[in-house]
Amino acid sequence: MTVSKKIVLIGHFGVGKTSLIRRFVENTFSEDYKVTIGVHISKKTITIPEGEQISLIIWDLEGQDDIKKTRPSYLLGTNGFIYVFDLSRPVTFQDLNSELSFLKENYPKIPVKVVGNKMDLVNKIYLKEHQTIFEPHVDYFVSAKTGSKVEKLFSKLAEDLI
Amino acid sequence: MNQDEKLNIIKDILLTDEREFVSAIEKKIKILENTVNKKENLSVKVDPIIETKLNEFVKEIPETLGPTITEALKTEIKNSQDAVVEALYPILGKMIKRYVQHEMKLLSERINNQVNKTFSFKRFFRRAKSKASGINESELILQEQTNAKIEQIIIIEKGSGLLLAEYSKNKMADEDMVAGMLTAIKSFVEDAFKKESQNLQYIEYDLYHIHIQNFSSFYIAVVVSGAYNVIFKDQLEDKLFEFADKEKIVKHLKNKSLLSKKIEDFFKNDSI
Repeated sequence: MTVSKKIVLIGHFGVGKTSLIRRFVENTFSEDYKVTIGVHISKKTITIPEGEQISLIIWDLEGQDDIKKTRPSYLLGTNGFIYVFDLSRPVTFQDLNSELSFLKENYPKIPVKVVGNKMDLVNKIYLKEHQTIFEPHVDYFVSAKTGSKVEKLFSKLAEDLI
Repeated sequence: MNQDEKLNIIKDILLTDEREFVSAIEKKIKILENTVNKKENLSVKVDPIIETKLNEFVKEIPETLGPTITEALKTEIKNSQDAVVEALYPILGKMIKRYVQHEMKLLSERINNQVNKTFSFKRFFRRAKSKASGINESELILQEQTNAKIEQIIIIEKGSGLLLAEYSKNKMADEDMVAGMLTAIKSFVEDAFKKESQNLQYIEYDLYHIHIQNFSSFYIAVVVSGAYNVIFKDQLEDKLFEFADKEKIVKHLKNKSLLSKKIEDFFKNDSI
């Protein structure tokens, strides 16, 4: 039997939440930026190594520069969060500490994967320069453009939910 | 007679013809200057030529420029289909609306004629029903013609929007995504109006009506086609409460296949 799990992607505007989902669900990527209004819902069924099938119902929320502004009703019943920021734009990760604390306080039992997107735009030196911010929090450095580690991110989160 | 005077006489004799020629040319130049510099004089000369050329050009347009313009227009329309549709939409909408209104009027007249001409027990009961429910008799006939039909029933967990069970006669859309999207819409509307304990109860989509019945930890969305009216809504609500109560669905919320089977058994005959 397939189990359904609700995954919610949150983060600032233009960090690539929709692109990550499109890469994962449709394996496509577009340079055109179309802002998400409200919510967009996608679905993908995956099989985890234990052989179990999981339907990921992925909620792509519109970007918010402050997580507290997110409509709480959209977050109800979430099984797993993916917090996305843009590696190339410091404004999207400067409040990483407080944003993640908010999630931990309000949704203490829900797993969160923290993801730095647009890995294709930065280099190793840049990552080293920001190591103090990234290292304590970031689970994956991904690129929706190249597809690097996107599949791994979702399947690891799915495994954690079982 | 000195040397200079002699020379002048010789010049006069030799250059008389040239002088006359030069003065003739001067006169012609003056006339030309007059023609070119004065608009009215120039237009007398040039206008007929321009007119002839213009007439020729107009005659040639369909042959020379026609295909190019048609091609350009075709490409332009093809490239901006959305804009064309956007521009035509209100006009078409009005035309269709007028047509539908006209047809509905005709249908209503036809039904009224039928009601007036015939007398039967059926009509007697219908009239009694109309009086009791306060619904126009014509509407009741219309409802008889286009009975409301249940197309899909989805049980959805409140908050998460996850699908708990589903039954559909014709697979209409991905039920997981419908469940999520309905919940998102519901959350948005209920949040936006900020009235506690108020729930979204109904969504109309094209030819379908989505009836939403709220329970404490879940809600049931019923997709209905056909004439969805107050009587049908009442009956459907009663039926859904009866279903929730009789089948004890709260106990089976975690068992998708059993719950889906229960919906199918309960609603498969459209017995509302």
